[in-house]
Order: sequence, then C-alpha cells, then structure tokens
Amino acid sequence: MAQMVAAVEEQQQTEKTALITGSEAIAVACKLADVDVITAYPIRPYDTVMQYVAKLVSNGELDCEYIVAEGEHSQFEIVKHASACGARVFCGSSGVGWMYAMEALTVTPALRIPMVVMVGNRALDDPGAFGVEHNDALAVRDLGWQLVWVDSAQEALDTALIAYRVAEDRRIFLPCAISCDGAFLTHSQALVKIPSQEKVNAFLPRYNRADLLLHPDNPITVAPQANEDWVMEMRRQNFAAMERTNRVIREAYADFERIFGRLYGNPFFEEYMTEDADIVLMGMGTLSTPVKVAIRQMRKEGKKVGFVRMRWFRPFAAEDLAKTLSRFEAVGVVDRDYSFGSPYMSGVLATEVRSALYSSPGKKPPVLDFICGLGGREVTVPDVERISDSVYQAADGKSQPLTQWIGLRE
Amino acid sequence: MATYVNIEPTQKLDPFKAVKKIPLEEFFTSGHRTCQGCESSLVMKTMAKAAGPRTIILGSTGCMYVANTTYYSTSWVVPWMHTQLGSSGSAALGTAAALKALMRKGKIKNEPINVIAFCGDGGGADMGVGAISATLTHPDYNLLILMYDNESYANTDIQLSGSTPWGAHTTFSPPGKMKRIMHHRWKKNMAGMMAAGHPTCRYVATICMSYALQGMNAIRKALSIGGPTFIHSLDPCPKGWDYDPYQSHEMGELAVNTGVWPMYEVEDGVLKLTGRTQQIAAGKIKRQPVRNYLLKQGRFAHFTNDDIDYFQSKVDEMWEKWLVPGAIPFRREVEADNPPA
Amino acid sequence: MGRLFAIEIIYRGIFQKTLAKNISRAIVLAAHEDGKPGISFGRYGDSPERNGIPAKNFAIVGTDDETLEQGMAKYEPKEVDITIAVDDTLCKGVESWAWYGLQPVNRLLKPGGTLIVTSREQPEALIEMAHRKEYPYQLAVVKAIPSFSGLWVYKDDHTDVRILGAITRILPELFSLESVQKTIMAEWKDPLKATSAARSYERTTSITVQPSQGNPETPYKFELPKWFEMGEGVAIPSIPAGRSFEDPATHAVGGFRPARNPTFKKFTTRSMRPVVNFDTCIKCTLCWLQCPDSCFDVTPDGLYDANMQACCGCGVCEAVCPVKDCVTMVNETEFRDNASQWEMWKKDKEGYKTWLQEKIKSHPERSHGFRYRGQYQEQVPEMLEIAREG
Repeated sequence: MAQMVAAVEEQQQTEKTALITGSEAIAVACKLADVDVITAYPIRPYDTVMQYVAKLVSNGELDCEYIVAEGEHSQFEIVKHASACGARVFCGSSGVGWMYAMEALTVTPALRIPMVVMVGNRALDDPGAFGVEHNDALAVRDLGWQLVWVDSAQEALDTALIAYRVAEDRRIFLPCAISCDGAFLTHSQALVKIPSQEKVNAFLPRYNRADLLLHPDNPITVAPQANEDWVMEMRRQNFAAMERTNRVIREAYADFERIFGRLYGNPFFEEYMTEDADIVLMGMGTLSTPVKVAIRQMRKEGKKVGFVRMRWFRPFAAEDLAKTLSRFEAVGVVDRDYSFGSPYMSGVLATEVRSALYSSPGKKPPVLDFICGLGGREVTVPDVERISDSVYQAADGKSQPLTQWIGLRE
Repeated sequence: MATYVNIEPTQKLDPFKAVKKIPLEEFFTSGHRTCQGCESSLVMKTMAKAAGPRTIILGSTGCMYVANTTYYSTSWVVPWMHTQLGSSGSAALGTAAALKALMRKGKIKNEPINVIAFCGDGGGADMGVGAISATLTHPDYNLLILMYDNESYANTDIQLSGSTPWGAHTTFSPPGKMKRIMHHRWKKNMAGMMAAGHPTCRYVATICMSYALQGMNAIRKALSIGGPTFIHSLDPCPKGWDYDPYQSHEMGELAVNTGVWPMYEVEDGVLKLTGRTQQIAAGKIKRQPVRNYLLKQGRFAHFTNDDIDYFQSKVDEMWEKWLVPGAIPFRREVEADNPPA
Repeated sequence: MGRLFAIEIIYRGIFQKTLAKNISRAIVLAAHEDGKPGISFGRYGDSPERNGIPAKNFAIVGTDDETLEQGMAKYEPKEVDITIAVDDTLCKGVESWAWYGLQPVNRLLKPGGTLIVTSREQPEALIEMAHRKEYPYQLAVVKAIPSFSGLWVYKDDHTDVRILGAITRILPELFSLESVQKTIMAEWKDPLKATSAARSYERTTSITVQPSQGNPETPYKFELPKWFEMGEGVAIPSIPAGRSFEDPATHAVGGFRPARNPTFKKFTTRSMRPVVNFDTCIKCTLCWLQCPDSCFDVTPDGLYDANMQACCGCGVCEAVCPVKDCVTMVNETEFRDNASQWEMWKKDKEGYKTWLQEKIKSHPERSHGFRYRGQYQEQVPEMLEIAREG
C-alpha cells in the first residue's frame, strides 16, 4: 500500500491535467498509444473524437494514416484490413452509423482483429435522435466483441489504453468497443490527468500480429470459404479466446494500477456504498452520477441503498456478480436500453443479470428492471428514489412489476 | 499534383516484351474449384504473375473467393485475405494505409509492396461501387482494384448484376411465356465511370485475358504508375453464359472483335484505344456482327432476330455515336432508342 | 416398419444439373403414383456447383411416412439401393465440394445394390475404372453418349427417362413401369419419352461385380483436425512456391513445376484430358499461358506437360494450340493412370508416338455444353437412334 501511495504521489508530479471531453480523452489515448491507422465518418455524438484526432494529426502530434471514409461500412472495413497487416487501429461510430457497419462488425471478431473503437451511445433511428441509448453497442453483444462502458472522461482515457493492451494480447485478438454516453461524456469537458508517454510505453507493448500477419514474408490465406466440416470448430476457437479475456483483463488492470497508480478495484464492475446495503441498484455509464447523488440523500433518511456499475458487459463477469448480488435483499437494474419481447419485457442488462443469478449457487435476490433515460432523457434523483422504493417493496416480499418505465409521461 | 501528394515509390514493373518473356513462376496455382474453362481464374493467375512475389492480394466475396479458397485448400502462393462483397475498395485502402504508416514509422522494412484488391461485377459494379469510387480519390496510396466481370452473380447461381448484358437469361431474368426479355438494363460502363469521375486516378484500363500479354502489361502499368488504379476485365463464364468451356478463349476474342467489349486505357487523363479495339477503330480489321457472339451462348438462346438486331444497334451506336467507342457515352446528338416490342 | 429406398445420382456439376434433377424428381413422382411418399434433393454441400466438378442428387422413398422420416432424419443417405453415374468417367471416383479426398463411385451401394452408368463403354472397362468393393454389387449400363448441356438450354436426349426405365427393371418394388410412364406423360407430355423408358426397361440387364474386380488403389483421404489443432483467425498457410525439376533422360535440371494444392485434385473433375505431341510442339507457350488451372509443368527442355493432378479437362489448351493435332483432348475413359506424358516421351519416343496415335483415336464426340444455337437439335437424333438400337 505504501508503495501504491508513493506511486500516486509520483504520478501527480509527472501527470499534466487537462480540461477535455470524454471523446477528446480517447483521442489523447490514441496519441499515447501511437495508433497507426484511423478512419472517420461523421455522425453525432462519437465524431467529436475524430474532430480532435484530426487536430492532433494536422498539428503533427499524432503520426497516423487518417482516412475519412465514405460510410461506416468502409470505415470499419478499412481499419479491419489495416489491423490484419499489423497496424494499430482506431475507429468508432454511433447509433445507426454503427448499425450501417454491422457486416464489418461481424467479421472483425471472426478474423480475430484487435480493433479498438469508441461508441458514442446514441438512440437508433427512427426518429433521428441524438440522445443516449445503449442499444447500438449492445447489438454486437453475441459476436465476440468486448464491450466496456465508462462514466468519466478519465476512465475513458484509461480504459482506451487498457483496451489496446487486452485486445492486442495474442491470447485474445478480439476487438473492443468503449461505450461513452452521448452528450454526458462526449460533449462535456472534465479535468483529466494525462499520463506520461514513458508510463504508457511501459504499460502498452507494441502490437504484434505474429503468426496472423498478412505480409509477403508470412504468406497465409485468410478466411477461405468453409463448409459444415469447419465452422463449428472455428466458433469454438473464438469461444476459447473470449473465455481467456477475464484473466487477461485482470492482469491489465493490475499492471495499470502498478504503473499509473490509479485504482479501479474490480475491473468488471464498480461497487458504491454496498458494504452495508440492503438493496442495490445497477446500471451502466453516466447514470451513475444521479444514482450516487440519490443514494447519498437516501442514506440520510436511513435507506441503505448501494450501487453496482457494470463496466465490462462482454465478457460478463457472471459468477463474480452473482456472488456480490447474493449479499442483498433485492436488486434494481436501471436499463438505458430496451429489448422488446424479451423475457418479462425487460431491458438487456436486467435479463443478463437474472440469467447470471439463475445458475449461481448462492442466494438469488429478486431483480426488478427499470427502463429509464431513453433517447438521452435525464435520469433524475427523484427517479432513482422511486426506483429504490419499489426495490425495497420487493425486498419486503411485496409483489412488484418485473419491468417498469420510469420518467415517462403517463 | 506531386507537390501535394505524399506517395511512396512503387515496384518497377516494365512491360513483358513478348509471351516468351513471361516468367515461369506461378503465384496463383492449381487446385481451385472454379469451373472448367474459367476465364476469371485465368485472370487471377495472370494478375498474380504480372504482380510478382512482393504482393498482397485482397479478394471480395464471389466466385474467385468461394471457388479459389476453401478452408485448408487455397490456390494462393502470395498472401491473400478475404474481404466483404462491397469492400474491395476499403480492403485495398486499409492494406495500403497500414503498409504506408508502418514503413514510415519504421515498424516494418521499407519496400514497395503491391496491393491488389479484386472484385466481381456484383461486388464492384453493384455493391462496392461507392467504396471503389472513394478509394480512387485517395492519391496517396499505391493500390490496384481489379474488377473481374463475368456479367452475373455467377457464384450464387447466376443472378443478374448491373453488369449483365441486355436480355441475358439469368436465374433472376428467365425468359417466360409473357416476357421473353426480363432484363431491360444496359450494361453499366464501370471503367468509363471510374475514369471520368476520378481525375486523380492515374490509370484505368479495360482488358480481356484472351489477350493475356496485353492484360498482364496493363496490370504491371497500373501497379507501377503510382496511386490508386482501376482495371475492368471481361471474363467469359462457361457456367453463366452457357457455352462449352472449350470455347472460353474464343468467347473473349469474339467479345472484342464484335466490338461488344472495347479495350482502352486512360493514363494520366489521356485516353487510348488498345489492341484489337484500336485496330477496329483504325479500320485495320473489320468489326464482326454481334450474332457471331450471341448465338454461341445459351444465355441468349431465346433471342429473336429483332433482339439480335437491337443488340447490334446498341453496339453500333456505341461505336458510331459515342465520342470515343466504348469509353464514355458522351455524344453529339440524342438518338431514339427503340427496343423490340 | 416399412421399406426405405434410397437412390443417388452422381453427375457433373452444371453440365448435368438439370438432368440429375429431372431423374430425381421423376423417381419420387413415379413412386408417388404407386402410393409411396418420397423426397428429392440436391446435396447442399455441392453447391455452388461448378462445370465438371462431381455433385450428387438424392431421391428417398418410403413405403409410408414414418419410414420416409427415417431417411429424412439423415443429412444424406449413408447407403443406397442404386447409384446412378450419368457420366461414365465418374466411375473413377468422386471428389466433390462436400468433402476433401476421393470417394469411390460405388461407396454408398448396399450389398447387392446396383450401379447404373450411362456409357458407350463395355462393362469390363467401367468395372476396371471403379474402385474395388468389399462385397459384390451389380452393374447395369444404359448405352448412351453421356448427356452434357448447360444451365439454360437442356439437351432432351431421353437420358432421363431411359434411366427411369432401368430403375424400374432393377428395383421393381419401387414403382411400376405404368407409374413411370404416367409420370413421364404428366411431366413432359411426350409419348416418345414414355416409349424410350419402356425400351430401356425391356433391355436393362445387370452383371455382378465381385470384390476381386476393379481398381485396387486406396483413394487418398484427408483427416479433419480438431478445433485446437486448427490455426486461429481462419488463417491457413499459403501454397509454397514451385520449383524446377529434373529431366529423367538427360538429368538436366530446369523448367518450373508449381506446387500443387494438397487437398483438392482434379482427377475426377475431368471427363477428357489433353494428350500432347511433343515432337510437333513449337513451344509457343499458349497452352501453358491460357490454362486457367496452371496445370502445365514447364519441363527443363521448355515443353509443356499437363499435370493430371491439376488438369480439369476444359480443352482450352487444344483450342489455343496453333499446331494441328499437337494438343488433342482424349476421352478420360482411355486412361488408367495419371502419369506424366512428357516423362513417357523422354524415355521412349517411338513407344510414345504409338501410344499417342492409339489414344487420340478416341477424341470424344460429345460436347461439354452449348456450342451454337441448333447444336442439340443436331445431336439428339443420334442419341434417339442409340436408344432405339440399345
């Protein structure tokens, strides 16, 4: 611990602090990671990262091939092929732009391409709406993408560095999407500590495509057509790679703390005031702020509410999470997404939490779902208090609807 | 231009002086599962031969993907990677960009490496045309996009594409009791479109591998001139055109000699008719009637004489009314178009 | 439990796609006339088909629905009552899209099952081509020039109905001649075709092939690796570069032989192969340059030797060769091995000349698809004559 404290002090001396948005923080991470090829295409809100990348390139601060594509499909295909040739790449999108790239998004993990991208979470059309919803990034949850949600500009920068480290690990070679809530993260500036280049170099090794490098010195044929004799074995390989991510992510966070001195604790989810909590709320992204404020108020009234913020949605730390949740009387999941026709008409996160609990040996508290903050609508402190009241009722064994819409005009 | 374009040197690939000077080495070899007499696989073979060993090839979905590379069963000697149906432009761009960045930053050895992305007419003239167009506007990257045009989605069962000739029988345009001609669209003029629409693209050519030496030298020029380039190859397809594979070579010659397939190149904006097409235009040889070509293919077996005459009239129009035969449909006056009832 | 009938039709991709489909459908429809349910399907794994590459079509019939379901529960039949090879050169074996390695034409035949082949060859020649089987099976020859056409224009030379007639004779439990003829009239409305079926029914005989007869070679196999033995990222090694090789007579080293794909050979894609007269070859390079399959090895003395691992028999080399009779396509039935012609020629030029003259006699009269409008109309009468004569 003393060693850690020393690291933190040293950190404060070497680190500069800048007032930047979450998008800019990720652009800074691209510069620190010495990314080789970046492709851009305009769509709100993610494109703020590319506007900043463009400045870094034109000012000579970032040496990369910066290509403005003619659509998201090409945007993701271009970096996919650049990565196959050994280049470290960065890309990103939002909402329907991400969906326009869907074909490229499916082949990227299948080809074991360690692409790192930013998703500026945005509601899917129609109607055209800029506000945050998580359905865009969640659409690839079954394909082999690693998905992580952050809730601050600082975490965005740090997670981008960690994402490169994990994705480009030869044991993994799977893409990683960093989700940042539109507006709350992409368009608001915060004070961010910029780590030194030396420390980044110590943390992040150079990308080595190794045996999969596409180059005349390593003649291989990549992705030949295959029939039923092969496909299942190929899927099993990606299953194995995703299984390994849990360990590699833990290693990366441990090294990150050692080198940068910034502490994240459990990499997969953050626990807030859970030690003595009766009930917990859960959610992803920036809704953590109103939830934490509300919890502090409720605690003044003696309500012991805690919060679990999921960072990594893929891989989903099911055992770990089930063990944690078994400590509480009831769980309230705040879903900033929808999954029409799903079990109990719940959102995606609640459905996954329930399935994680179902097969766990420990206690299985009731899980209520609250669809909230869609289309970028504010999640208010009173919303969170209403949610907590309902979860308390469930904890007392009173029947509650399994899915409720909160902050809706009705 | 050069002042603003930041481009690396290319491989020096002088034209092969004669067929006997063509190197023996193969970089696309046997064992693929293409049809007997597949001219597109001949294009793959000669393309790889013309490019040589320091080459990366990207292949978008289509016959030359599915039939050439089945798992554990490739035909490629040089590195090869699949790309999605509409992604030949993006694949070439991404590969060239990676090489450029890694070489500039000293992360890999600095040497000119050929980058070729191929696509069929479905992947190129239909789905991929946007990405190809975008790529041809990037003057900083050395790459070649080669479109092998067998005039249908031949891999998926011969469905019509934007490059299928008027009236041809495909599984999406079968002649029926009520409609003899189901396909009323005239073949898309891909090479002309690419040349006219992309002023910084330094080389565009149309070829046919029945004239292999000319085709290979066009590929070598496209790879050495620098910047993004485009080649459109017409490939007779025994499966989709329905003819005896024995006739594959002859079918390509007929396409050129009947004037259905004009061969030309646009180098730094200068347009030049090439090979037999140039000789026809110069009156050195006579343009054959299209029926010699149409009657040898099952896909036109339902044509009446009116249909054949109409086809002939459209080809004549291309030769007589266009400012340059085959190249771009710019003309001096409007002609009435009277397709058969 | 009732009886299950399974029939496979092995055919050459595209060229015989419609023919195989017609036969398979008619089998099921005729059985239906006899009150038996059935299904007909082309093997999905063989698509997308390519000209010449062997493919399969199956007809499965049961005496009742439950029995049929037993057959439908399998991806494809594991054993069949009848195997139909609509091109006699398929007797050499089948290497399709659906698997790696070469499979004997008679592989799926039940003990006592029948192999029906359309051919002008004598049974002995066909037996010699087919791999040996551990138990006896029957062979029936439907005398015919193997029927090839393309996707759009069908050559209606009655091969389809003559096969149906043969089946009726070999497997009377499946359906009656009456049902076959009813089906033919319903499908084609052509009394002439019904007659052809009846003629073939009357004439069809079969002989027994003993385990001691046939090609003794064991066909090459390919072992499928386990998931953790396969490379990641769907990547496989490229084909190695080719190299020069040695002249068996002079021991000079030179020329170029491309490395060949280890998992897919063209032995069974061919129905004809080029025979080269090395004495008249002027080394113009055209056969080598224009070959879409890179099948020609360039010999140390600058000649071009078609490598039978890679030759698919398209005939382009013959078409482009400027010297008369220098490259001749010869019916694949004439050959028992895949040896190098050039080596044979180097070792014994006189002997080779005799061999060559002998071979090029059987330049196949059949065409491999559409050559010109009206061609089939010219060819069909000859076939109908054969059908009449038997």
